[in-house]
Amino acid sequence: MSRATTPCPEAISTSMPSKQPGVLVTRRHHLLVRWSHWLNVPILLGLILSGISIYWASPIYQHKPDPITGNFDLAADIGIWICDHVPGLHRYSSPPDWVYNHMGLGPGMLAVALRLHWLCAYAFMLNGAAYVAGLIAGGGWRGLLPRRTDLFDALRMFRYYIGFPLAKLVRRQWPHPSSNTKYNALQRAAYFTIPIAGLLSVTTGWAIHKPMQFHSLAAIFGGFDATRVWHFWLMWVFILFVVPHLILVFADGWDTLRGMITGWSARVMRPEVTADEH
Amino acid sequence: MSTKSRDFFGERPLPTFEVDSQLLHRRTRRDLLLFGAGTVAALAGARSLLPHALRVALHIDDEVAESLYSPRRMVPTYTKSQITQLKNNYNGATPDPSYIPGWHVTLDGLASGVSVALDIRNLMTRFSIHEQITRLVCVEGWSAVAWWAGLRFDDLLRAYPPASQARWVRVESSVNLDASGNPDPYYVSIDLATARHPQTLLATHLNGQPLTVEHGAPLRLMVPVKLGLKNVKAITRLTYVAQEPRDYWAERGYSHYDGI
Repeated sequence: MSRATTPCPEAISTSMPSKQPGVLVTRRHHLLVRWSHWLNVPILLGLILSGISIYWASPIYQHKPDPITGNFDLAADIGIWICDHVPGLHRYSSPPDWVYNHMGLGPGMLAVALRLHWLCAYAFMLNGAAYVAGLIAGGGWRGLLPRRTDLFDALRMFRYYIGFPLAKLVRRQWPHPSSNTKYNALQRAAYFTIPIAGLLSVTTGWAIHKPMQFHSLAAIFGGFDATRVWHFWLMWVFILFVVPHLILVFADGWDTLRGMITGWSARVMRPEVTADEH
Repeated sequence: MSTKSRDFFGERPLPTFEVDSQLLHRRTRRDLLLFGAGTVAALAGARSLLPHALRVALHIDDEVAESLYSPRRMVPTYTKSQITQLKNNYNGATPDPSYIPGWHVTLDGLASGVSVALDIRNLMTRFSIHEQITRLVCVEGWSAVAWWAGLRFDDLLRAYPPASQARWVRVESSVNLDASGNPDPYYVSIDLATARHPQTLLATHLNGQPLTVEHGAPLRLMVPVKLGLKNVKAITRLTYVAQEPRDYWAERGYSHYDGI
């Protein structure tokens, strides 16, 4: 990723034209933003898998023990329900463990789950710092800030996403709402929320990891037990972000994905440039 | 918002420049190959490096926990109305209470060079009894607010000073059982700095009553700045040592220090 091969924009604009037809490109993501973005994939995967196995040791959501099975764990109930209702899973060996085996490292893995959680948590904090440094160095933070028109624009984008598959089905034109900013309002809301969710995950994580030394931190979130609930639901913010994030990146096309790998985007308000990329 | 601050916070156009289409193509290919090679290297390296990395992370986390500890920082205390149910979380079977009448605790590694055996009457008459309502936090994630009474570990250390080179105490219960009821001695390491914390008790009472066998009668460690697994029930021996002693749960993949 040496910067040396990146032509200086000023130099290029003055030494034009060259023999080949030029392509307009923009520098979309700073190197640190791109690296930390991809490192988040294994780190978040490790945090979630180990987190679910830590959750197993003392589930937040419990009910009175079932008189027959003795089960008190809602996540075990969900596993039992899934094995009862999903075709092909009727003979699953241990339905109460289904969730822990498929979203975590499995039941009874507390020691290794804790070690993996600490490793990924320290990596997540360092990575988050690198991401913020990249946002500042590349000026990308400005594109994430919410604006006053965002509520209306977000509704417009929401309508577009909901209607898009239907419009495709009936072969109707369904134009993308126009936008002259790096991100549309829905993207901005998501990309602005995620770093905050990251910061809250780290804060609530420390509060429940060191509940005596950081007891005042846990008090902000309503005490030790309430902070565990916060930490659990913050995980879901990441999961609920990743699903549409993946769908939309692939729906949006190659240029968007390439932007996060090379940093360059050829989508510069000039439709003919993007057209030959497909 | 002033115009100036709006300029500062306002989005700027992305840096745009014109490149040779060949260059864009080459750069994309180079970065894709680097990205793929990085992913493959990370996956291959993870296999051999992960066990080491997990140990290092646990070690770093213990160092962090130790640096957060302060003998002057008190843990929060609660009122009687905030007391919650405390479950018996003996890892194995609960011992038969027949050990209680003949019980005594043995102190080893003292400055005097001799072993001392103390029974519960010695402990309760010779030391002043302190009460505290604190939270016990289990490594599993649950916690309980309970009302404890007992002598300060610090007072015992003053009355029977450990050998000058001692930095650790091995806290042991020889009456501990495994899940099938066979003897399974339980031992943890406690650094003497933590043992001297004013809220570290050798507890004799829970909720105003002498400890029951489920909660470690007649004497258990109550060290609220550590995870519950360090709060040894039915202590039978305290050994002061210079080097970090063995720890039951550290040998099973958990942390050594367990400071919270």
